[in-house]
Amino acid sequence: MSATISQRALRGVVTEWIRQGKRVAGPRQVKPGCVLYAPLESSDQLVLEGFVHPANSVKEFIFPKHEELYGYRITGNRIELIEVKQPAGEQVLIAARPCDAASMPILDHVFNWDYKDELYNLRRQLTTVVTLACAAHDDACFCTSVGLGPAAERGSDAMLLELGDGEYEVRCLTEKGKALLDGKVQASERVASVSPGPEKRFEAEQVGAFVKEHFDSPFWPSETLACLGCGACAYTCPTCHCFDIVDEGNIESGVRARNWDSCQFAMFTLHASGHNPRPDQPSRQRQRIDHKFHVYPEKFGEILCTGCGNCTRNCPVGMGVLSVVTAL
Amino acid sequence: MSERPEFEPKIVAFVCNWCTYLGADLAGTTRLEYPANVRIIRLPCTGRIDFNLIIKAFEIGADSVLVSGCHPGDCHYTSGNYHARRRWILFRELLQTLGFDLERIYFTWISAAEGHKWQQTVKEITEKTRKLGPYKDLYQISGSGDLASSGRGASRCAPAVPVEVCGRGTWPCAPTDEAALRDTCRRLLAEGSVKVVIGYGRRGPVFVTRPEDVEQLIWDNHCLANLTVYLKRKEIRGLGRPAIVVKGCDERALVVLEKESQIDRKEMHVLGMACKGMGKAKCETCDVHMPRFADEVMGEADKHPAETGERWKSLAFLLALSPAGRMAYWAREFERCVKCYACRQVCPMCYCERCLVEKNRPTEIEPSATAKGNFAWHIVRAFHLAGRCVGCDECTRACPAGIDLRLLNLSLAKAAEEHFAYRAGMDPKAEPLIGAYSLQDKENFIR
Repeated sequence: MSATISQRALRGVVTEWIRQGKRVAGPRQVKPGCVLYAPLESSDQLVLEGFVHPANSVKEFIFPKHEELYGYRITGNRIELIEVKQPAGEQVLIAARPCDAASMPILDHVFNWDYKDELYNLRRQLTTVVTLACAAHDDACFCTSVGLGPAAERGSDAMLLELGDGEYEVRCLTEKGKALLDGKVQASERVASVSPGPEKRFEAEQVGAFVKEHFDSPFWPSETLACLGCGACAYTCPTCHCFDIVDEGNIESGVRARNWDSCQFAMFTLHASGHNPRPDQPSRQRQRIDHKFHVYPEKFGEILCTGCGNCTRNCPVGMGVLSVVTAL
Repeated sequence: MSERPEFEPKIVAFVCNWCTYLGADLAGTTRLEYPANVRIIRLPCTGRIDFNLIIKAFEIGADSVLVSGCHPGDCHYTSGNYHARRRWILFRELLQTLGFDLERIYFTWISAAEGHKWQQTVKEITEKTRKLGPYKDLYQISGSGDLASSGRGASRCAPAVPVEVCGRGTWPCAPTDEAALRDTCRRLLAEGSVKVVIGYGRRGPVFVTRPEDVEQLIWDNHCLANLTVYLKRKEIRGLGRPAIVVKGCDERALVVLEKESQIDRKEMHVLGMACKGMGKAKCETCDVHMPRFADEVMGEADKHPAETGERWKSLAFLLALSPAGRMAYWAREFERCVKCYACRQVCPMCYCERCLVEKNRPTEIEPSATAKGNFAWHIVRAFHLAGRCVGCDECTRACPAGIDLRLLNLSLAKAAEEHFAYRAGMDPKAEPLIGAYSLQDKENFIR
């Protein structure tokens, strides 16, 4: 026995969530040729076909690009701290790709290691992830090389799998997923076939071993010359999580906020003295691969990459984890 | 007690120390009364008034802004006001494209002897602003009825279409031109006259240093990147004398970079490729299919240049909107900006070693990807390219959020052409637009 839902019914369910006041986000065509995960104002904005992976990742719904931590107000000699409004209300991420969903349990480690990040954890608790298994992949996809696949269940609360003719098989994977979709699905005999996904391109352990051994290898400068040092890879990556903390305001009041940051920027490691331990782009590219395949696994036991391929898709000069790693 | 207090406009005036400030002083000493709504900020010269200040004034709650300095010919520093005038002409066009309300931005020349003119100007601006009411449209998405009906608003989504993998032209490849390119590069590298060829490879830019590797070079319809961006990069410069592959559009960047003393044309070998278009928006109206200044040109392009008017056609939908509609459009677009700075990094004209957004003592541009921070960034980016942008559209191609940044560049290119008959990178003899001025620059918007 399996459970199914039609696309029509699914849109009906999404409409109901929106009406209930839930924040619903999913793939949405923001302009011709550009699908992004974005908040949905109505269910017909939800795009379920015709794209491989949105150009961004779902991380911005649990770890926003800009988040206020607290505010301050100065009156005379008195400094008053102001609590910010905590995230409240449930959130549903609908039709997220399995590679995006898998990033959440991976990120949980770093946000709960030496310090338990309240805002992250609160958003995570309030979020239910309904993934849509992949029926197609492109040249940038490499989930199978990092232990995932087109229907990998990690991080998903429920999963939709295309059956064709506008029907989806529904797999409820957690209590949260069950609670969300309970009573919305129909019993059926139909079971979706899962696409094999992209061919396996590399062994993640070997990559980790290489970067550990080849810190000063000429490989880095020769393979990363084209990198221009923007943050498109890091900012569209579901697992990159670096942030910077800034104070914004004036002499009377302001906020302390955290913003995304990227190891590809020259400013990222610039010391106050003017010294920069990562003085050029090759050393910054090495850092990105090193962190994903060596440092993170050593510390938290798993690699910091889900093979979504967004780094490759969004790189203006055709680089990305896949191209660097396969060139090793 | 229940009566609502009458709206009192806040007006910020940026004035020149030598003329308008003294004019305002004269108004005071001669006991001329004028509304207390104006907050005067004194600066050394109108030529030193950073356009960001106008934006900042609105951000902190100004309802109108006045910028005022010496009459033409009277500048204490000879020509500061002429430079300012030229910048204002361009800046006004950018503000208009972004949807700022130009009714709230005033430019005047008021001399040290014109206390009366100061009084009259402040009175008038205060009254006009009082009628307009508080400035509420700044960075607002709401109130954009006309945007939705234009069909371009994000809330009116078109049905899904397959994702365009990569904009491609109608011609698949040019094997003869590609072979000619490889032969040339093989020869150049073998004879040692260049040490590296900056060209296109299968995946993206490649840097070929050995004659036997020239097979890595390709020439087809997805050679999109503007490779001139690499000429300023330390890592590439370290490789030695370069040969660089350029299309006609990329080549314009070389002209500007040389004019700005950033490159020495003699220190490189330029390989021009005749281009039949890469399938991008810029290609539709391209008129530089053939490189004009390259050391060697390969291939032929039989395309006819587009009419001048055609170049601005993608701006039409935006200019048809009301100012509030335009601002709503940009607010929606910038909402998606994550500040990855891909637009800056791919731009051959963004060669500053330290960008203004990276200056944090004090912070000039808020680093946060909020409405305020994003508007501030995109205004700076676009205006620093005024009269310099060559229209390669790399910023737009690189943007992972799909923001049509080219529209901002296009509006400034349009202004440069309409007001000054200037196109960046077209004529190597032309003086840089922003560095120069003319006594004839129009000033019908200055009182």
